[in-house]
Amino acid sequence: MSAQLREERGVRLRTAMEQAGLDLLVVTGNAWRSDYLRYALDVTPMEGQAVAFVTANDAWLMVETPAEAERIAAEQPGLKVEWRADLLARVRQALDAARPERTGLAPAHSTPALLARSAAGAGMQAATALLDGLMVRKTAAEADRVEQAVRLADEGYEVFRAAARVGRREFELVGELEAWLRTQGCPENFMIMGSGGKEVRTMRPPGERQLAAGDLVTTELTPCLDGYYAQICRTLVLGTPTREQLDSYQVFMDALEAGIAAVKPGNTHGDVARAQNDIFRRHGLGEYVTSKYTRVRGHGMGLYVDGPHVLEDVDLVLEPDMTLVVHPNTYHPVAGYIVLGDTVRVTAGGCKVLTRTPRELRSAPAGLA
Amino acid sequence: MRRGLMSWSREELPASVLDERVARLRAGMKHEGLAAVLAYTSFAEPAAVHWLTNFTPYWSEAMLLVLPDEAPILLASLTPRVHGWIREVSHLGEVVSAPRLAQGVLDMLAGKGVQPGARLGVVGLDSLPAAVALPLMKTWGAAAIVDAAPMFAAVRQPCGKEELALASRALAIARRAVAEVPDDVRNTSALAAAIEASARAAGAEEVLYRVAPDLSRGGALGRLEGEFPLGAAYALELSVAYKGHWIRLGGSQARGAAPAGWDAAGAWFDDSLSRLAGRGADGLPAAPAGASRWSLELCTGVQPLSLARTHEREFVSLPPGSLAVFSAHAELEGGHWYRSAPLTLGGGGQRGQVLRG
Repeated sequence: MSAQLREERGVRLRTAMEQAGLDLLVVTGNAWRSDYLRYALDVTPMEGQAVAFVTANDAWLMVETPAEAERIAAEQPGLKVEWRADLLARVRQALDAARPERTGLAPAHSTPALLARSAAGAGMQAATALLDGLMVRKTAAEADRVEQAVRLADEGYEVFRAAARVGRREFELVGELEAWLRTQGCPENFMIMGSGGKEVRTMRPPGERQLAAGDLVTTELTPCLDGYYAQICRTLVLGTPTREQLDSYQVFMDALEAGIAAVKPGNTHGDVARAQNDIFRRHGLGEYVTSKYTRVRGHGMGLYVDGPHVLEDVDLVLEPDMTLVVHPNTYHPVAGYIVLGDTVRVTAGGCKVLTRTPRELRSAPAGLA
Repeated sequence: MRRGLMSWSREELPASVLDERVARLRAGMKHEGLAAVLAYTSFAEPAAVHWLTNFTPYWSEAMLLVLPDEAPILLASLTPRVHGWIREVSHLGEVVSAPRLAQGVLDMLAGKGVQPGARLGVVGLDSLPAAVALPLMKTWGAAAIVDAAPMFAAVRQPCGKEELALASRALAIARRAVAEVPDDVRNTSALAAAIEASARAAGAEEVLYRVAPDLSRGGALGRLEGEFPLGAAYALELSVAYKGHWIRLGGSQARGAAPAGWDAAGAWFDDSLSRLAGRGADGLPAAPAGASRWSLELCTGVQPLSLARTHEREFVSLPPGSLAVFSAHAELEGGHWYRSAPLTLGGGGQRGQVLRG
């Protein structure tokens, strides 16, 4: 990430800390939940726990192994990095020595229990909300990064589509895409997929199943570039789509269009979800947008999945430069599981659709790989 | 997240092996007076639950509940739509949807008749995420919840022949991926792409790499984000998972003649591996360079590989028969040098072995 963006985030974070009356912010993370840590110090743990300490004028990091300490110190020469095999006990000592009313600890969900049970743990929800606010309400420079990641998602989907051939196993298909993503300097990708017919009810990690003629092949592809993620959801058919598949898919096209039309400043995540779900309900498919099937109609995109999901009961108000994926993904009783989703950026007058991949139900040749 | 092949081969890892592991845990539970053991899993902390059930979440999180008299129960935050997949890849009793894991655990304990306030063990209590730990402790009583990490570590090793075979397969995948890197590779993107293409096509569940792109300038192994040119000598460390079994394989590569000291360092490394497999970590001779260091890692809890010992001190005991990774780094006259390789530790009259892959 550029030093300029790192600096910009640091200034926003310290301003927020000052406004919240915090002298010290302690941010935890690991390979699964590294987004808060990356916002605070631009650090991505590969293994083990990591803990960032941020004050008005200083910042340092503690990790569990010498390998992680050496790696991160080399990546950020200006950052003080220390390793301790008994990391959590050491951090707990530091928290116990701090003034709890002036110390923030985050994120509330995944902070290790030993730290959460310190006096500073009482303020975890507030400290997490502080960081969530910064991460969801992006600067223009951050939204620009998401736009760059969208380019990679678009190009990556074409690689996926070209690799999807009858006879290939799911994991081989994903392996080919992953190799291509590495050629682009992309370190990470959130990705699940599905293949088959009406029996498929969801997406999951790739398995050993061989693709077959007539399959619907679904994927949610989410590459990370320069720390920021963007997502594309698409469905393709191996062979010529049937009339039933095309008619079913049209509902998803209409729902996506309706959802995107609702993305504008002042509207809420709930409005975006409702606009999509109303299309399904109008077609007598309301059951398929409930928790019995798939009810999430999108989510924020940024350093990870930002903030709350796009659901009808979520009142997060959209603001310019927020970035999110809108996806009416769910099961259709006639065609099977279908996904379709674009990443968008909220603008002053509405939104900019960043995804450029065509939305229609496309096909890949049904011949053998 | 995990996006390689995640599956369960009953031939490679029979259900009876998983049952036997659960039985070992239950014996520990009984000895410790625990009414139940809980183990948390996410893809960052998957090892305990995988060892007991073959399950690793590709994303999100779950808790495993082990009771004395019935098959392990998984409480999963993942969508119920993937429960079918979970059953395909895991050896479990009930699989229960639990968007709020702590509440799911509490409800299940009540449903199974576990007396409120009975002693519960949690594998890795200190690192258990707050959203799970705090409500659990508040309702059940913090005093009745103990860290089961020492008990789990005591039953986790030594590794059995199935674990050894799966780790050897992971090593074979890593070796082949390294062998398939083109000789003329010039940057980290091309290097990583070659590794990914080979390893994932061979069925790797995950492949992580750290690279020191130019050993004449520095030996720190870095995460790849963006692209860096490769120097005449570089180091690559691969961490490969095959069906949940992790190994590391690291080495220094040179275009042309190897820098001064590499041969001696390599000979020391090979000798050290043999000694570790023969007699364990005590008495390992120093590396043939002033600024050198080594480490041993093994699986003792929720992380696939944890630091157990360095050249300076031991952090956890190293039982003979444990599957471990030995890594060494030296600053030589010709630049930095690095290697890592897996083995099973010897000691106490027992011989281990260096994995060949």
